[in-house]
Amino acid sequence: MKIDASKPLEYSTEENSNKIFGFWVFLGAEIPLFATLFTVYFVMVNRFADGPSGPELFEIGPVLAETFLLLTSSFTIGLAVHAMRLGHKKAMMIFMGITLLMGLGFIGIEIDEFFTYVHEGATLQTSGFLSSLFVLLGTHGAHVSFGFLWGVGIMIQLWRRGITPATANKTFIFSLFWHFLDVVWIFIFSFVYLKGLM
Amino acid sequence: MIKQLFPIRHVMGYLASLVLSAAALIVIYGDLSHAANVVVLTVTAIIQASLQLFVFMHIGESADTKKELYINIAYALFVGLITLFGTLFIFVWGWYA
Repeated sequence: MKIDASKPLEYSTEENSNKIFGFWVFLGAEIPLFATLFTVYFVMVNRFADGPSGPELFEIGPVLAETFLLLTSSFTIGLAVHAMRLGHKKAMMIFMGITLLMGLGFIGIEIDEFFTYVHEGATLQTSGFLSSLFVLLGTHGAHVSFGFLWGVGIMIQLWRRGITPATANKTFIFSLFWHFLDVVWIFIFSFVYLKGLM
Repeated sequence: MIKQLFPIRHVMGYLASLVLSAAALIVIYGDLSHAANVVVLTVTAIIQASLQLFVFMHIGESADTKKELYINIAYALFVGLITLFGTLFIFVWGWYA
């Protein structure tokens, strides 16, 4: 394995650079996926049949908490990668741990939100609006949940093996994924919740 | 040590994203027209997405792949936006509405 010391560790081998590039291509496929789910939502948003409409259902409090958690976790995973490049393993693991805890907090609030909706009679089957809403939010939430498990796995490797070209590469790719989820959330926050409540 | 672990670029990016999220709340608590609200949401969301892309994801940091990554993301946005606006054009703004 040829290591190019002039580059950050996560880019240092050809395989590492290729993996990062490949992950960007994957994110390039995630954009049309979420664009399609948003499209369905915008077409269905006023078709709430006998069920509740957006303004009746949405509450700004939990949404602001979710937004704050994801924005802050996106910041801390950025700090984790920065600490990694400085070689501070401990700081890196702390920042990554904070990121994952906030991710878990986000998932908790979202599950509670879904629970409340269903309790109010707003289920996946109630209306076109709710089907598209649950699928859009659920796909994003499933990504965050998967990201949480992925991040825990990477932290175990970091703890056992330290910062190596392989673990640095995985952490960096994970950070790209996490930032991307934040970008998707910004659009959900703006165009689902705020637009629904305005 | 603390200063080293919190690079100013990231801190500013984070504060900017908090401010932009708060600014977007004007659509609920303010008294703007519908069109102005949609403009506010679109502008704040696009700036925030760009912050993530350029400040946190460092899309332009590797000279070897910079051009390819921009093309990749631009193409993905092209496909996504055509899907979105093409559908809205037919089902929401067009005669099926």
